[in-house]
Amino acid sequence: MNNIIIKTENLEKIYGKSQVKTHALKGVSMEIPRGSFSCIIGPSGHGKSTLLHLIGGLDKPTKGDVFIDGVNIAELSKAEIAEIRAKKIGFVFQFFNLLGNLTALENIQAAMMFGKVAPKEQKERALELLALVGLADKANAKPGELSGGQQQRVSIARALANDPDILLMDEPTGNLDSESEQEVLKHIAEIHKTGKTIAIVTHSNEIAQQAEMVFEVRDGTLKV
Amino acid sequence: MSILKLVARNLLRRKGRFVFTLLGITIGMASFVALLSIGGNMQNEVTRQAYALGGNFVIVPDDLCVYNQIGIITGEAISESLDFGAFERIAAIEGLTVIPHLTQRTAIQNATVTVTGMLPAETKAFRGWEMYAGEYFASQDQQAVVIGQGTRNRFDLEVGDELTIRGEAFPIIGILAATNSNDDVTLHIPLAIAQRVFEREGRISFMSAIVDNMERVDEYATAIMNVANVNVATNEQLLNSVLMILGSVNVTLQAVAGVALIAAAFGIINTMMTAVFERRREIGILQAIGAKGRAIFKIFVLESGIYGLLGGIIGVGAGFLVSMFVAPIVAQNNEAMLMGVTMGSSIDVQLVITTILFSVVISIVAGLYPAWKAAKLTPVEAISYE
Ligand SMILES: Nc1ncnc2c1ncn2[C@@H]1O[C@H](COP(=O)(O)OP(=O)(O)OP(=O)(O)O)[C@@H](O)[C@H]1O
Ligand SMILES: [Mg+2]
Repeated sequence: MNNIIIKTENLEKIYGKSQVKTHALKGVSMEIPRGSFSCIIGPSGHGKSTLLHLIGGLDKPTKGDVFIDGVNIAELSKAEIAEIRAKKIGFVFQFFNLLGNLTALENIQAAMMFGKVAPKEQKERALELLALVGLADKANAKPGELSGGQQQRVSIARALANDPDILLMDEPTGNLDSESEQEVLKHIAEIHKTGKTIAIVTHSNEIAQQAEMVFEVRDGTLKV
Repeated sequence: MSILKLVARNLLRRKGRFVFTLLGITIGMASFVALLSIGGNMQNEVTRQAYALGGNFVIVPDDLCVYNQIGIITGEAISESLDFGAFERIAAIEGLTVIPHLTQRTAIQNATVTVTGMLPAETKAFRGWEMYAGEYFASQDQQAVVIGQGTRNRFDLEVGDELTIRGEAFPIIGILAATNSNDDVTLHIPLAIAQRVFEREGRISFMSAIVDNMERVDEYATAIMNVANVNVATNEQLLNSVLMILGSVNVTLQAVAGVALIAAAFGIINTMMTAVFERRREIGILQAIGAKGRAIFKIFVLESGIYGLLGGIIGVGAGFLVSMFVAPIVAQNNEAMLMGVTMGSSIDVQLVITTILFSVVISIVAGLYPAWKAAKLTPVEAISYE
């Protein structure tokens, strides 16, 4: 099996269709090995989130290619990319991650539904995942009834719903106090041990120190 | 977790909006059903009454407009502009059986009812009346009244009771067996007595006629119009002209219902557009966790379809209830209220199913554009929205 799970080639992204154009990425080539724990750092507005979105198939590059497990997702249809998002990639964002009208458990089950997990298996697996992030007792809580750190842990559990190979997180602790951050980091570290490839966009030095690889994005390019 | 459960959660999230949007489509469908079945009932009723008239044709004053001809069918009193002489001249035509009617109004227990003056023996034979109780008229000038089943039930009357018509006492001597026509709700008295108490000496309202040979109807019609200043309308013609009026009433009712439906559909579009806008971020999350555009589309279309399903079911129920009570009032016919029991309660299963389906289809169509907007959002557009 190929050892490089994520690979980008000359990735470019230009936002805006008319007058105001933002050249957010100006040719990024990177390789992320399978099972690694990497960080994407850099100043605000320099293209970190953009890069993560392109890697995860949430957006299409203006130019260049993204390979996930050797498949160029820039060439896939929207539905095929959605399939990859459902099965191979888990996302965690900084804000408002969860579906507010569903319980913690149901949030995870919803992700399983899109990953085509049989309804019968959903509940048991979802409870296991909640236990993994230490929230077995909050299965029936709505996001509004959880603390910020707990919500992020549910998000992480949900990102794992379909047992993806890759976990992409955009400032997962950006919104948390340091104690909650520690708790979340502890769980991320445990998940990494199970063999998942993890890429985190962060401003946190603490996370960056734990990372095996660090990519610094500056002004739309990778700083070596 | 299933799409349907997700949709149910979404719908109930904003309960107030859910209820008001639902009310919109419910009212739309209810008015659609009510107006449609009121129109339908009126047509059924008219058709039934026209056939119950019994004659092959009616003879009316030549100045009686089409609108007034409804009166003959619904049993309203119509003007008494024919004279008895005309009747005698027409009755003399060979091969024709004619009976005269003088229709007037009176009141029982403060409710208006129609009184018909007629020739007792001839009318009984003509109409094929049977007695349910009591006796029939013994002579042409017996001051008494024979009533029908409708009147009996409505006012709780029995043989031997006494009615007052124009200040004079009329004992009920007999009750007719049910005819399922106006005769059930009309007070029958001898023509001569009616002409006297209503001070319409020598006058009649219209005549019913049967010909011996149907193939010669046209000849008879010409003969009749030669001897008197009258118009001849076959039951079919009468029915057609009345149905034509009702038809245009129906078109109007349907247009009103259509407007109500369009308003309801825009209510749904509005609600769904708001929902799509509010839930952009959520749509992004759904996409990030693997929902395809098709799934997002399905979620929103289902949401609006459910409005249609619920609105259709509740609306049909409400609509039939309304039509049951309103139809007789619209027909402005007290007698119809009596029959309303039989006519409103026959709920048309096909109409029920069609209406609910229709409601669902309208709602789904109304949801298509918002759902398409939602499905078209790219994940990043949806997520970067804050
Ligand atoms: N949807 C968008 N439409 C237009 N411009 C965008 C969009 N998203 C990002 N940009 C622009 O692209 C550039 C890079 O944005 P990006 O979000 O990738 O930065 P970032 O490094 O993640 O910043 P931060 O640390 O603040 O999250 C910025 O100039 C931003 O304004
Ligand atoms: Mg960012």
